[in-house]
Amino acid sequence: MILKEGRIVAFVLLFGSFVLYYMFTKMIQQGKAFKIRTLAALEALPEAVGRCAEMGKPIFYMPGIGSSLSLSSGAYILAGITILGRLAGFAAKAGVKLRLFTVTIDAMPLIQETIKNAYAIEGKVEEYSDDDIELIANQSSLVSRYIGAVQREQPAAACLIGYLAYESVVLSEAGNIIGAMQISGTVNLYQIPFLVASTDYTLIMEELFAAAAAVSGDAGAVGPIAAEDVIKFVSLGIMILGIVLAPLGITFLVDLLGL
Amino acid sequence: MSFIKSTAFKYIPVIVFAVIIADYFFAIASLGSLAEILRQFAVVISNIALGLGVISLLRIHGKNVQRRLEGRWQYSIVTVVTFVTVFILGIINANGDQYTWAFNHVYTTLQQTMYASTGFFIVSSAYRAFRARNIDAALLLIAGCIVVFTNAPIGEVIWSGFPVIGDWLLGPGQLPGYRVLMLIAGFGTIVYAYRVITGNERGFFGGGE
Repeated sequence: MILKEGRIVAFVLLFGSFVLYYMFTKMIQQGKAFKIRTLAALEALPEAVGRCAEMGKPIFYMPGIGSSLSLSSGAYILAGITILGRLAGFAAKAGVKLRLFTVTIDAMPLIQETIKNAYAIEGKVEEYSDDDIELIANQSSLVSRYIGAVQREQPAAACLIGYLAYESVVLSEAGNIIGAMQISGTVNLYQIPFLVASTDYTLIMEELFAAAAAVSGDAGAVGPIAAEDVIKFVSLGIMILGIVLAPLGITFLVDLLGL
Repeated sequence: MSFIKSTAFKYIPVIVFAVIIADYFFAIASLGSLAEILRQFAVVISNIALGLGVISLLRIHGKNVQRRLEGRWQYSIVTVVTFVTVFILGIINANGDQYTWAFNHVYTTLQQTMYASTGFFIVSSAYRAFRARNIDAALLLIAGCIVVFTNAPIGEVIWSGFPVIGDWLLGPGQLPGYRVLMLIAGFGTIVYAYRVITGNERGFFGGGE
């Protein structure tokens, strides 16, 4: 047997998912329209920048902690940076100062490049400054630095989007105290209640990835998101079948999934 | 540079992904060796990234000091001096008393101090969340109060039912919802990985095109 024991069904499901992603991408390329539902948090980005422009204050961004190369946090940080690109575009267009605080040492070049590119697209590359991006040594230093900056610079809006841990409640409350409009998003479930309580808009769990896809907007990004809904329904069907079969003592489904 | 952006970024992840995923599912010895080499590459690249990060840190803070950047340069001196001191201590002897002292009595203490402040922010956040403005918030308030009384020693003294209901809320009451969200986040991660490896997620490669 070439396939490793216990991984046959997982392989079939993963491969099937990829085929679905491919098919939906092709369908979009051939003209079929799938719309990602409006994400309030994403829609609020221009509003947040507009608020800053009206008040003549900066907008803050924090793409989370951890490493962009890490299995546990990498995908979320990268998704946050994708959304950052969109925000930087709005900020450049409106002439709003974008201030970013990060501890993600390995993502610094990526962050700088993303913001710089967004400014370049708006034809305002001369307004980009490395000084607006602060690399801070670690998580707790970030917390104290961010709170201090919030109090001193009084941003009109702030975005906390990426992989967030305990700092989420501190940073969001710091923003809340000064009345900043706040947009947040994370996949760390333990932090979501804090973000929902303290920020105006929250991207919950996979909405973070959906938002990153919506920012991209092309078929290759939207297709897999549309296909994901089919996979969710299939998973729901398997779960309901399991709920029905388990009390009857039928172990067929469990045995099958264990293959 | 354009070749790296347009071609290498698109195909390298696909090849690496194909090898790693195939090694996970298939029992082929040669594939295993190749996947192991790639994993070692990942460790090496991570360390190179860390080295680049150190250079970036010193460059940014060095520039702040050089230009006397208002409100920041003093802190940048502290950062650079601390970095150099701890780095030298670690190079001399990573298990030595000085290095251990710096870690345990400076770093850990400062870290814990900031972490301890979280409690105050949680209280103000909870106060906002627990205002019973509608039926959902009222239910949240009730559940929150029960869990508070479950964890506070006085809760059981007031009524022995608090820990029973609180434990149910913390277990069967919230676990199904928690697991569904984790499952969906997993789906989202797979989709994101697919987009990255097929070169369709390019927003973080510097803005898209």
